Amino acid sequence: MTDLAIDIRNVVKRYAEHVAVRDLSLAVPRGSVYGLLGPNGAGKTTTIRMILNIIVPDSGSISLFGKSHLDRGITDRIGYLPEERGLYKKMQVRRVLKFLAELKGMSGADAEKRIDYWMERFELKTPDKDWGLSKIDELSRGMQQKVQFIGTLLHDPDLIILDEPFSGLDPINAQALKDTIVDLKERGKTVIFSTHLMDNAERLCDSVCIIARGEKVLDGAVADVKREHGTRVVALSVAGEARTAIAHVLADRTLVSRADDQNRYYEIELAPGADAQTLLSRVIATGAPIQRFELVQPSLHQIFLERVGASGVEEGMSGQG
Amino acid sequence: MAKVDMRKLGVVFRREYLERVRSKWFLVGTLLGPLFMGAVTILPTYMSLKQRPGSDLTNVVVLDATGTGLGARVGKALGEKYPAAPVPAVKTVTPERLLVAEDSAVNAVVRKEYVGFIVLDSNTVANRSVTYAGRNASSLSDVEALMGIVRQQALAQRLEREGLDAARVTALTAERLETRKEKIGNNGREKGGGMGNLAFGYIIAFLLYIMIALYGQTMLRGVLEEKTTRVAEVVVSSVSTDTLLAGKVLGVGLVAITQVLAWVALTIGMLFYLMPILFGKMAPQAGATAAAPRGLPADMITSALPTPGTALIILGFFVLGFIFYSSLFAAVGAMVSSQEDVQQASMPVMLMLISSVVFMSPILTNPGSSLSRTMSLIPFSAPILMPLRMSLIPVPWWELAASLGGVAVAGVAAIWVSARIYRVGLLMYGKRPSFAELARWVRYAN
Repeated sequence: MTDLAIDIRNVVKRYAEHVAVRDLSLAVPRGSVYGLLGPNGAGKTTTIRMILNIIVPDSGSISLFGKSHLDRGITDRIGYLPEERGLYKKMQVRRVLKFLAELKGMSGADAEKRIDYWMERFELKTPDKDWGLSKIDELSRGMQQKVQFIGTLLHDPDLIILDEPFSGLDPINAQALKDTIVDLKERGKTVIFSTHLMDNAERLCDSVCIIARGEKVLDGAVADVKREHGTRVVALSVAGEARTAIAHVLADRTLVSRADDQNRYYEIELAPGADAQTLLSRVIATGAPIQRFELVQPSLHQIFLERVGASGVEEGMSGQG
Repeated sequence: MAKVDMRKLGVVFRREYLERVRSKWFLVGTLLGPLFMGAVTILPTYMSLKQRPGSDLTNVVVLDATGTGLGARVGKALGEKYPAAPVPAVKTVTPERLLVAEDSAVNAVVRKEYVGFIVLDSNTVANRSVTYAGRNASSLSDVEALMGIVRQQALAQRLEREGLDAARVTALTAERLETRKEKIGNNGREKGGGMGNLAFGYIIAFLLYIMIALYGQTMLRGVLEEKTTRVAEVVVSSVSTDTLLAGKVLGVGLVAITQVLAWVALTIGMLFYLMPILFGKMAPQAGATAAAPRGLPADMITSALPTPGTALIILGFFVLGFIFYSSLFAAVGAMVSSQEDVQQASMPVMLMLISSVVFMSPILTNPGSSLSRTMSLIPFSAPILMPLRMSLIPVPWWELAASLGGVAVAGVAAIWVSARIYRVGLLMYGKRPSFAELARWVRYAN
């Protein structure tokens, strides 16, 4: 019995024109919410597809719950929501869901019961209206997304893999998904999701892995990652029109190695050897009305930019990541 | 080929089968199929049987330039043979006036007073030629009916001139030989005439073609649908592509078989309940005329119904042929990303299928030729052409075995190649792959 839900070791996947994943090793603790972060084309989808045995890696090994991911029946313990979503348009909702559950090895009768539970929970089955008897293409996009979640969770999987789950979601469904992820974690399930939206990852994830160009840049618990990158970031916000004066200070490379300018709010990374006190006095000297000056842990977004940079996005590879 | 999970195969199979059988198009097709086929096969027979005796066949002018009275004989004989029909008009002319008479006969036909005219002249008496001109001149059966009478009467006239008495001449020339065909198979004489077998073979071959083409395309559309709706990725995360492909081939194949069985049952039912009503009603009308109720389609079909062994072999050809074609169609569905690409990408598969149909008529006319033999042995045309050939002539068992075996081997090869293209293609979007890329998919898919 291992406490790892996913253990990927030295996995490589090459295509004719490029290397999608090179020598990637990952460890996803059981019962955690894990974020796979990276720009488009970083190799996230390829990695996920290899975990699901849709794509076979050229080399390396993948274990799920301590067993080879090729083991018979192991994919039945996984629920997968692909980035590109869709269902059989002309099929009845209940029949689609039952089909998906049975593909995961559930019996028809069990599936029926759980379909009722989830349909009610996601308000697709109310006393007034049971959408289960409608065809998929009679549902709104938001409802189709709910059906797709249900299809992912119906067989009560131990490992839930969501590829870019927030893309294309309306705010209500996005919230429902976040609630569901938290709920799944509380029930001891492992959730891994890929995203390029750092805000969501920062709030939801216990651990993250940032990959770019098919390689791991960093991984670990979010708290650890932030602590490692955390001592040298200053959050600064000012009132009024003080931009030019402050811009002058921030341009001093002996003091500031990077500044993320968000108009009234700056996330500033101190240059090596520079001192926050010096920065503070310089900013005061400009006469700008300071509202906030705080030594903070950086956001994942900040860490991501620092470690991956703009060059992490390979061109022309969107959608294959 | 990776292992196939039987349980999941069953799940895929059930969805493919039930979703299709439940659709309203299946119901419409199943109900309309026999009506359509019935209309195509029964109506013409019914119409021709019903029409012949009372038709305008004898509404003709007989131009007699022989000077021997042959025209009058022909007119009388036609009147006797078709008592209910109009009596032909006989005009005796001199050979010099014949052209003028022909002109006025043409005008009469144009004015629709007559259907046509027969020209009897010295050539007819000399047993060389007779001319018929008319609106129905391209109808073989009409012309043959008229010319038969002319020949008979010309012969009778000559015999009389040689001194035989009229009564004996009538007795000698009146009886027409009727042809009855029987087929000899490996077990000696077989039930049923040649026409029954011809019709049966033709229907079977055509049905095989239709079902393979129709349900092969259904397969293609199904795969393309999974691809374009992106449901494919969810499905293949739960089930291997080999299992998925196998489940689809079996499911769609069984839909085709279900449809054919329903058609056969409906058609037979229709024949047995409708034919007596249709043909029974007109039997007294037709009376003792040429259209004796021998060889009615109902008879033909019952006598041509295959033995269980033959039916089993035909089923074998369908199953193997369907596996071959439908897995290729599935590969085509997996390699394209949009409906627009389908036409071009499926061309190679369609060509194989259509080439089988092109060879149907040479085999119908000469089922024993080496061309027929070759085409019924080549795997891609065998599933359609061998059943056709074997219903026309007895085919040696080793040729049947070789043909079936060939299709089986081709089927396995098609599945192997298709499964690989399917595996890679199902999650590839964008431009249609070139042949070189396809070859790479097949080589590297694992």
